[in-house]
Amino acid sequence: MGESLQFLFRRAGWYLATMWVVYTVSFFLMHAVPGGPFDAERNLPPEVRKNVEAQFNLNDPLPVQYFDHLTRALRGDFGASIKIPDFTVNEIIGQGFPISASLGLFAMVFAVCLGTTAGVVSAIRRESFVDFSFMVAATLGIAVPNFVLASLAIILFVFQIQLLPAAGWGSLKQIILPAICLGAPYAGYISRLTRTGMLEVLGRDYIRTAFAKGLSERRVVVRHALRGALVPVVSYLGPAVAGVMTGSLVVEKIFALPGMGSHFIEAAFQRDYPLALGVVVVYTALVLLMNTMVDFSYAILDPRVKLGEL
Amino acid sequence: MTEPLLQVDDLRVEFRTDEGVVRAVDGVSFDLAPGETLGIVGESGSGKSVTNLAMLGLIPQPPGRISSGRALYRDEDLLTANAQRLSQIRGRHIAMIFQDPMTALNPFLTVEEQLTEVTRLHLRHSHDEAIAHAIDMLEQVGITGADKRVFDYPHQFSGGMRQRVMIAMALSCNPDILIADEPSTALDVTIQAQILDLMKQLQTDHGTSIIMITHDLGVVANICHRVLVMYGGKIVERADVDSLFANPRHPYTLGLLDSVPRWDTDITEKLRVIPGQPPDLANLPPGCAFYPRCSYREDRCQQSVPPAIERPDGGDFACFVDVDNVKPAEERT
Amino acid sequence: MVESQDAKQPDASELERYAALLDEARRIKGTSLWQDAWRRLKRNRLAMISLWCLVAVAMLAAFAPLLPLQSPLDKDLKDRKNLAPGFRGQRYWVKLGERSDLRFASDSLTAELAKFDDEVAELKTKVRAASGTDREQLLGELDGKIHNSDPLEKLWHNPGSIVRQLLRLRIMLFGDWCLPSLFGTDDLGRDVLSRVFWGARVSLIVGIVATLVSLLIGVTYGAVSGYLGGWIDSVMMRIVDILYSIPFIFIVIFIITILSAEETKAKMDALGINQLTVFYVLIGAIYWLTMARVVRGQVISLKTELFIDAAHVVGASRARIVFQHLIPNVMSVVIVYLTLTIPAVMRFEAFLSFLGVGVQAPDVSWGLLVDEGVKAVTPIKIYWWLIAFSGGALAATLFSLNFLGDGLRDALDPRMKNR
Repeated sequence: MGESLQFLFRRAGWYLATMWVVYTVSFFLMHAVPGGPFDAERNLPPEVRKNVEAQFNLNDPLPVQYFDHLTRALRGDFGASIKIPDFTVNEIIGQGFPISASLGLFAMVFAVCLGTTAGVVSAIRRESFVDFSFMVAATLGIAVPNFVLASLAIILFVFQIQLLPAAGWGSLKQIILPAICLGAPYAGYISRLTRTGMLEVLGRDYIRTAFAKGLSERRVVVRHALRGALVPVVSYLGPAVAGVMTGSLVVEKIFALPGMGSHFIEAAFQRDYPLALGVVVVYTALVLLMNTMVDFSYAILDPRVKLGEL
Repeated sequence: MTEPLLQVDDLRVEFRTDEGVVRAVDGVSFDLAPGETLGIVGESGSGKSVTNLAMLGLIPQPPGRISSGRALYRDEDLLTANAQRLSQIRGRHIAMIFQDPMTALNPFLTVEEQLTEVTRLHLRHSHDEAIAHAIDMLEQVGITGADKRVFDYPHQFSGGMRQRVMIAMALSCNPDILIADEPSTALDVTIQAQILDLMKQLQTDHGTSIIMITHDLGVVANICHRVLVMYGGKIVERADVDSLFANPRHPYTLGLLDSVPRWDTDITEKLRVIPGQPPDLANLPPGCAFYPRCSYREDRCQQSVPPAIERPDGGDFACFVDVDNVKPAEERT
Repeated sequence: MVESQDAKQPDASELERYAALLDEARRIKGTSLWQDAWRRLKRNRLAMISLWCLVAVAMLAAFAPLLPLQSPLDKDLKDRKNLAPGFRGQRYWVKLGERSDLRFASDSLTAELAKFDDEVAELKTKVRAASGTDREQLLGELDGKIHNSDPLEKLWHNPGSIVRQLLRLRIMLFGDWCLPSLFGTDDLGRDVLSRVFWGARVSLIVGIVATLVSLLIGVTYGAVSGYLGGWIDSVMMRIVDILYSIPFIFIVIFIITILSAEETKAKMDALGINQLTVFYVLIGAIYWLTMARVVRGQVISLKTELFIDAAHVVGASRARIVFQHLIPNVMSVVIVYLTLTIPAVMRFEAFLSFLGVGVQAPDVSWGLLVDEGVKAVTPIKIYWWLIAFSGGALAATLFSLNFLGDGLRDALDPRMKNR
């Protein structure tokens, strides 16, 4: 237990440092863009504009703005959105976060379940027709960008056979298609990883031992081989989580889901500094959190891994 | 003589590789009596491990293929038995331990999980029975504090201790036959001796027959009753341990014995080695496989494979040459 | 290794043995590895098909200006909007420059081009004849003429000098004739076939250039980290770990907003930097992490191998060892990862273009085309050809790269199967 706590504390330290770096880099990059949020609004009289800018502290020197915003952000307050009137960033994120998070979670669950199952089956029936078709499907999943997949899926399932709703949010039916499109490339990659991992483990000495003990193939695979085969999958989950989170930007756009990602690109281009920063910080935190969970599951999976050494 | 427990007859195993078909085991026949310890000696690649793996259906197929032969265990052919029947025999009646205890135990499962699954499967032990039995077995193989250590993972044990765990696991169903594939090779010398002593002890306690696969003649002398010498997938000589050491008939056996360091010879004398490399099993010469490296070779050895010749003291060997009356090549000039 | 050199000079026979070993190592790793790999690769049918597909795609993209394609940019809102693919309802005879709004001489590119060439030649002779301020003025006029009224500029976006030559050659070969819109046209009446071909150029160049950038950074970083070892290695790898957990998409989008601001554009134009170039470098700069890790692993395992020892004993310098021995041996791993990085980078480009922050019109890339296609998907009418051809081309290329990468991995180093 002490080991886990120590691990958590050290991780937390690293993560805070990472978040601070991401925050700072984003802040200054955003302010490095020439012009301000109100450039586009031509009719704004100079006095009004000045007032509005003062309301968002945009007239202060940059370091002052930075420390101002940072101290407030540390208290969990990202201020008011510039472009979406009457909403604070926290409110906007609060509405978008559950959508983005559950979309990501569904996509990951889908990817892991489908990927590992297909990978195990491929490895056991290797060089068979099943293996070959799984490999082609997995490579297709990896190769086809998820927005292409998403648009094809919309054409097929929504317009042609009208099985599922195209856009909107709320019911389970509405989450299926986006989650599958988002998770498909990762399902493909995980199945490949599982397959190679499984094949490698099946060649290990301890699998021969297990067979020599008289265990059935099924039992050898499930009890002795699977855990070892999943180790590379688990270490891939970290990057996969980051990828799914990134991909959700696109999927939210295609399926018109009101998630966090949908706000980000607009915010970045319209110089809605508080909103863009808020989204970046929340996304980074989410990815880091998922990574910690991945490390924990790594330690649960492989008894030789000590959390203290990670 | 008692009825043999295991009878292997003309076993042939092939592997398909990029370089062609490799005949890893080429017409091997032997038998094993109850309570006997049979040594199988040879270099890596001589087919000694494959012979035993093939009997238990542990050769991956493909690329491996058993092309002929029978392996009768209590009058039942293991080579034609179905997968389910083989599973019943493996671990229950015929158990195996492997060379490298570091890799032969599953690193992801505790020792308890790995020990109890055998007895729960074969002996239908309940959870508690199985654990009690596992602890008992670990104590028998000399692991102190077995009641606690049984819940440890393999990586928490040293190499010698892991091999003891392996032995405990193999013997936990009290099998008729224990196949030990170089059980001491990967261990330190002192640990080696302990493991061999342990096996001897357990054999007397349980009356298990042992097939000891090794390349170490010291191990053979220490533990075995009878020896098979294998080369290039074939048995080239078989005899009782004492006869073999006293009177080796095959040039390869002779070479093996010469390459063992001895305390009773002049230390200035250089250790002899068998020159050359083990044969390429995909491209064996038509005659004797040992021909290229043999210092007693004659022309006829290249033409045909020498047949098995009876030894006066029982057993046989496969060589045209009478090694006692012919000088080796290096002494002829 | 170094100590042994100082402690005692190895005797001559030892040196010879090491030299021989080194020689052998070189021979083995230098030639037979590649020949062996090629032999194995040739037996992998999927990988070979992929290889030839990629060669074909690359050639078609490289020589797209030579092919009798329509202009990828020329819009025709009057009567060529959203034509369905195939021959039905289309004329077999499509002429370059026939659209009347272009105001080309006799509605033909060749005629207009001939007119333009004549005018330029005329101006040039005038320039040669004139002197003083007249000459200055005429030179300015010539410059303006070349920059503003070149008919090629109207049909193709900003062609470079090589592309210009190729286009001229194509006009010589095929005249005004071009293929009808076999892949249909989009909602602005542009020919999808030629857009897919021209888009291939941008997509492939992004893939290759960005991958080279990532290669440069990743291999250097990984090799240095692995070779130096010790605390430097741990710090360098810790940094990689941290970078791994940053969602780079946000940083990239921020940088792109900076790049696409008018003022930055003007500054970059002054420096002669293309926005696309920055874009390539940017993508390359975030895809080096895995490469660095893999190279480091390989270097560490190679470091302990005998032939590196041999090089030390023979007295090779550190830099020499790195460049002469380590890097060539790391190559096989690197090549495999290249075939995995190129598709990843291309996907990322497509991804950014799709989000509207990547390649900007009037440049075309596959990602941009797919984006346009997706936008055209409506419940009322599906212009499937807008998405099917560009998406299909993108997917097929990525598919081939993946299979080729797998094949190469198996061929070059069977042990790597498990990484």
